[in-house]
Amino acid sequence: MGPLIPNDIITGDWNFVIAILIGIAFGFILEASGFSSSRNLAGVFYGYNFVVLRVFFTAVIVAMVGLLYFDYFGWLDLSKIFILPTFLSPMILGGVIMGVGFVMGGFCPGTSFTGIAIGKTDALFFAIGLFLGIFIFGEAYPYFANFYNSGNMGNVTLTDVTGIAAPWFALGFTVIALAAFWVTAEIEKKVRKNMKEYKF
Amino acid sequence: MNRNYLFLTLLMLVLAIGTFFIKKDDVYKNQIKPETLLQVITQPSRYVTTDQVAKRIIEKDPTLELIDVRLPGDFDKFTLPDAINVPLKDIFTDKGQDNLGIEDLNVVFFSNDDIIADQAWVIATRLGYKNMYVMKGGLNCWIETIINPTMPPETASEIEFEQFRFRKAASLYFTGGSTTQPVSVTKAKVKVRRKKKEKAASGGC
Amino acid sequence: MNKNNNKRPHYLNPYFGGVLLGLLVIATFYITGRGLGASGAVKSTVVETVETLAPQHAESSPYYSKYIPKDTSPMNNWLVFESFGVLLGGLLSGVIYGRVKKFRVEHGAHTTSAKRLVFAVLGGVLFGFGSQFGRGCTSGAALVGSASFSFGGVIVLISIFGTGYAVAYFFRKLWI
Repeated sequence: MGPLIPNDIITGDWNFVIAILIGIAFGFILEASGFSSSRNLAGVFYGYNFVVLRVFFTAVIVAMVGLLYFDYFGWLDLSKIFILPTFLSPMILGGVIMGVGFVMGGFCPGTSFTGIAIGKTDALFFAIGLFLGIFIFGEAYPYFANFYNSGNMGNVTLTDVTGIAAPWFALGFTVIALAAFWVTAEIEKKVRKNMKEYKF
Repeated sequence: MNRNYLFLTLLMLVLAIGTFFIKKDDVYKNQIKPETLLQVITQPSRYVTTDQVAKRIIEKDPTLELIDVRLPGDFDKFTLPDAINVPLKDIFTDKGQDNLGIEDLNVVFFSNDDIIADQAWVIATRLGYKNMYVMKGGLNCWIETIINPTMPPETASEIEFEQFRFRKAASLYFTGGSTTQPVSVTKAKVKVRRKKKEKAASGGC
Repeated sequence: MNKNNNKRPHYLNPYFGGVLLGLLVIATFYITGRGLGASGAVKSTVVETVETLAPQHAESSPYYSKYIPKDTSPMNNWLVFESFGVLLGGLLSGVIYGRVKKFRVEHGAHTTSAKRLVFAVLGGVLFGFGSQFGRGCTSGAALVGSASFSFGGVIVLISIFGTGYAVAYFFRKLWI
């Protein structure tokens, strides 16, 4: 049955209305979970607040396991959904750059939007930085166009690359995430004892 | 609070392990629904007559694709011009299916009678292929009507005589009466398209 | 800390938020066949801006020209509408929990507002730059990519968080 729009069950006219509604839900969940605060987000790297890890990895494992069930019940044809293409080395480099940006800026693009919504100037500056960063990339693109397009593996899944069935990855992620939740809860307790001025 | 989390942890683990038991057979994913199949099977529109087939062969219709579903031994002895041999059991293989589902081509299955051809048609339809037909009566009927047509009785209608004249001419054509041209029949451009690739959503961050 | 209890910001239980987010990812796939995203909207804004200010430059650029649709504006894009929704949703949640206030800077105890803003811009520049190589940011590539078992998504996920931990020490003054 699903996905609804590629299967023409819902016409493309509704696309943008749905985009806004999905965006509202996304923004609401991010803000309500505390992602509009850069200190909450950066806390994951210093052990005083693991909210990012909890929300993020819960979402990943719920979605992974959920998608498999949706496919089984025939609600969603997994062969028709968009699989992010893999460009191995550019993606590793991109992730490294984003990792540094994350620690320096304290936001990621989606969370900075929610930060702006509730009046965080630092979020606004981060978004301006995003704009500049992409602009610089666009201007400098000819210098690294070859690298940008290198390592193209197409829209491959973990199963395509490793030959291991999807449930193994779903289970693996779930076990790692659940273990991380229990361990980080303890770490967080210890670190927070030494921080008084931060309201959690 | 800790007890709730323990429960949720276990629940998530059980759900994740559950995904191992829900794998389904991908092989049958593209098959059509039994109800739809029943509906198309009961329709006689899949049959084409030997006359129609003969006419299209003579006209060198580029959209015609004849598939002989008999065994290779029979195929070597006698078959229709430009027919491809795909024995019934090979319909299940990728190699056999290479000849099916080609855009703009109408497949006509035939065998000695129309029973095996019918089976091939049902299997291929179940696998999701379209634009397929069965030659009514098969090769036996072909011999009877096209190669050795019988003269209709004096009392027959003009239409029957017309048909007879066509069959007589066709008979000459197929039995070598037409010595004119060993034309290489130009088939439609064969775009091999094993399975229609359905559009995946595009996107990206 | 107990003294400040009534001032503590009220957030969703993170696991509950995570389940909601996971379900939203599934719902988005179910409805649209694609995932959430955020950096794509900023990219569209950049392309739109460049195209408005210097149309010829945008057309001739090998990068921008890829994202200029023929018959419509670059802003007429799914992710732009979705990101507009993110702003609205963030505002909605902020209003409900009483977190919407006039513009202010949040920073760690050992740093100043000005410094925080400089690093916010720098972080944004790096994030925007990196997101182009990564084919998406934390939401589009790391979250949705990983959730849909994309190999690249997991690569970006590991790469972002791994680097984050590796360099966190050097920026600790900003946050703790």
